[in-house]
Amino acid sequence: MTEQSSSPPIDPRLLSVLVCPLTKGPLIYDKEKSELISCNAALAYPIKEGIPVMLVDEARHLTDEEVNKYK
Amino acid sequence: MTVPVIFNRKLVRYHRDRAAYHHQTIQDIVQIGADRLLERLDDIQRSFTDVLEIGGRGVVAPILQSKGMNVVSGDLSHRLVSINSALSVCLDEEYLPFKAHSFDLVIANFNLHWVNDLPGSLLQIKNILRPDGLFLAAIPILPTLSTLRDVMTEEEVELCGRVFPRISPFPDLRACATLMQRAGFALPVVDKEELSLVYRSAMALMKDLRFAGETNALMEQQKTFTNKDFLASCITKLQDQDEIAVPLHFAVLTGWGPDSSQQQPLQPGQFSVSLEDALKN
Repeated sequence: MTEQSSSPPIDPRLLSVLVCPLTKGPLIYDKEKSELISCNAALAYPIKEGIPVMLVDEARHLTDEEVNKYK
Repeated sequence: MTVPVIFNRKLVRYHRDRAAYHHQTIQDIVQIGADRLLERLDDIQRSFTDVLEIGGRGVVAPILQSKGMNVVSGDLSHRLVSINSALSVCLDEEYLPFKAHSFDLVIANFNLHWVNDLPGSLLQIKNILRPDGLFLAAIPILPTLSTLRDVMTEEEVELCGRVFPRISPFPDLRACATLMQRAGFALPVVDKEELSLVYRSAMALMKDLRFAGETNALMEQQKTFTNKDFLASCITKLQDQDEIAVPLHFAVLTGWGPDSSQQQPLQPGQFSVSLEDALKN
């Protein structure tokens, strides 16, 4: 949880073109956790040092409960 | 359809992570390669605003920015992409994380040769291009590094009696052309360029390959330690010549996102001037 506060906010221009690499579905930007959430794939992509890491290997798997929270 | 897994993508990523520490060392070669690729843009009259560049190693993005373009940089390695000053995304070329029609120019600078599913990657690139947007890429092709491949194969057969794959199976020019056509780009053009590189020592060559993140990432590579005698004899053999020429052969791929404003081929028989008349004049 160290990245939470250190990661600068992501540029809105970038946010407007990013989608989930797996499903090509929309992403939800969780500012607090510094993650990009793909509900369809149930994955959370981390943002490290302001750079979104859109790799499935690096993404955190979300539980059904967490996914429902974002929906 | 299952895609054959030729490259270990984790290893490619690790190599590029490591290369980020040494990007200054090989900056000159990267710069020349990038200049050769980007000078193609000077021949094109239309202007581009939103650009995605992949694998630019901090060299491509500034050139594009100086032309007034909004640049997004992408790389498999978080560390290598973070040397860019442009907006950056850590991405997998096999799973591009962008909306359809997001960019009017996509540039891939010497990095698509480590992709397993090249047809798939090209198709995704075509999808993120706007209609009449341009895709421009440089890919190393055969016979790049053939000197190294020949020497290593010869020595390994002699010393160990079998051969492990050590050099990436680069595509050839014809394969690149087929790929572009298959991906459905409009007005595809593929041509060949050569960058002459000469090394004084074999170690310098090996070092540059390592610093560039271009060392062996093949799935079928040797998993145990490499025979010391084998490496030594390879180096001796390479050093036999005063200079080791390892030209970088590469294909420049250009293709456009299909658009109705582009020139379209006529249907057979749909002509107004007969060929006979044209030849007579």
